[in-house]
Amino acid sequence: MSLSLKRIYAIFLKDLKDLSKNLYVSSIVILPLFFAIMYSRIDQPTIEIHYLIINLTLVSITATIQCAVIAEEKEKNTLRGLMLSPATVLEILTGKSFVSLVLTAVTILVCMNITGYMPENTVFVLIAILLSCVFYLGLGTLLGLVTRTVVEASVIIMPFLFLFGFGSQLQGLTDQYSILAFVNYMPNTQLIEFAHKVEDGLGFADLWSHLLIILAWGVAIGILTIGVYRKREMDE
Amino acid sequence: MENVIEVNKLEKVYGTQTALADVNFQVKKGETFGFLGPSGSGKTTTIKILTGQLRPTSGDAQVFGHSNSALNHQSYRQRIGVLTDNSGLYQRLSIYDNLKLYCDLYHVPVQRIGEVLQLVNLTDEKKKLVSKLSKGMLQRVLLARTLLHEPDLLFLDEPTSALDPANSKQIHEGLRRLNENGTTVFLTTHDMSEAETLCDRVAFLHKGKIKLLDEPKNLRRKYSDSTITLELKDGREIVLPGGSEGADVVYQYLSTNQVVSIHSNEPTLGDIFVDITGRELV
Repeated sequence: MSLSLKRIYAIFLKDLKDLSKNLYVSSIVILPLFFAIMYSRIDQPTIEIHYLIINLTLVSITATIQCAVIAEEKEKNTLRGLMLSPATVLEILTGKSFVSLVLTAVTILVCMNITGYMPENTVFVLIAILLSCVFYLGLGTLLGLVTRTVVEASVIIMPFLFLFGFGSQLQGLTDQYSILAFVNYMPNTQLIEFAHKVEDGLGFADLWSHLLIILAWGVAIGILTIGVYRKREMDE
Repeated sequence: MENVIEVNKLEKVYGTQTALADVNFQVKKGETFGFLGPSGSGKTTTIKILTGQLRPTSGDAQVFGHSNSALNHQSYRQRIGVLTDNSGLYQRLSIYDNLKLYCDLYHVPVQRIGEVLQLVNLTDEKKKLVSKLSKGMLQRVLLARTLLHEPDLLFLDEPTSALDPANSKQIHEGLRRLNENGTTVFLTTHDMSEAETLCDRVAFLHKGKIKLLDEPKNLRRKYSDSTITLELKDGREIVLPGGSEGADVVYQYLSTNQVVSIHSNEPTLGDIFVDITGRELV
């Protein structure tokens, strides 16, 4: 299947113009910045703190904005127009993911600058964050597709905001409550463990398993999202 | 002439409710085909099946030779334009920005925006935000968007329902011009005058079944009672039978200069619909 960059760019540009006038989006961006400013007052923030902010950015910007953007397209009946155009599902979803991705990148960079986080190996960390982005974009798209309105979307995203934003805090309880063992395999937790190993100077041989788990989350949610999108194309 | 749409034994059932039952029709290339019926008769369901938004329960709907299962292919969507009551626009963007997006999606040069805006009489409004537009203007922008890529086949679901008579007339003229240039139009409406003005053939849809299908003039002739009404200068109206019997009386009034107007009493499409189905087209 060939992708039309012109179509992807057109959807991205449209979203960029549209979102620049959207107050909901501006208010969401404030959340991770607020945490970054707050934690920058601590002397030598730990990896946990840096990644609390990065994970919060991923779920509150990447997933939440994506979810809101898709839900709004549904609410205003504009998604149907895109679906009836010659644009493919990949062109539409890629185009619609770029704004969330750009906002995520900018926010993470600003937050890292505020908290003074400089990874030991930037390339490794960049790869892990990009893989995480795939998962969070898929999550946002999926939740946007199953909701009917922006208000509904902003409610349905809440449990995920807590789970993936702050869920890694539960890791300390996994020995006590075995039911929480799944927390160890969540993409946010994996990202933190990955970052620890990067800071310890470990190489790819010690890192790939974390990347694989994050990638598996991304692939699973991607398959689910495309399936739901295909269903939404039909007006059954 | 080649058939663009071929529908055979089409059926759509939602749970226990039958939306379409044994629907059969063909639409020829370059034709304006009217699908007429009241709300809930199955018009929109038919459009959704023909545009790949809905799967039929049984039967076959082929468009440009694409079967049911291929009606969501890119190559098909590049050839059709769809305007339905659930089409939407980006409220925070201008008319121009909304149309620009679709130019890029269909790989159409942006110069085309000026042409379609002229067609719907919105040339001076292109910088206006969509959120500031009236319902009629929104409908015209949607129509302009549908026409951007000069589709071979247009599906229009009640295209002038929100428009005033002047704008409706302009849209009708535009649609006629497109039709003259070879665009096939599949139109659903419950506006009988719109159907009479635009359609080469019409199908009456009632409770999911086609009750009649023919050219409007044939239907009017077929259901005419062949009488003539004379309006006389003294204010009387006389209904006369057709044929030689009526002709003598008409001659008599004409020769004594008493006639204001003569009308043949053909029924409107709305009258015929009521005759056939027993209900109004609302």
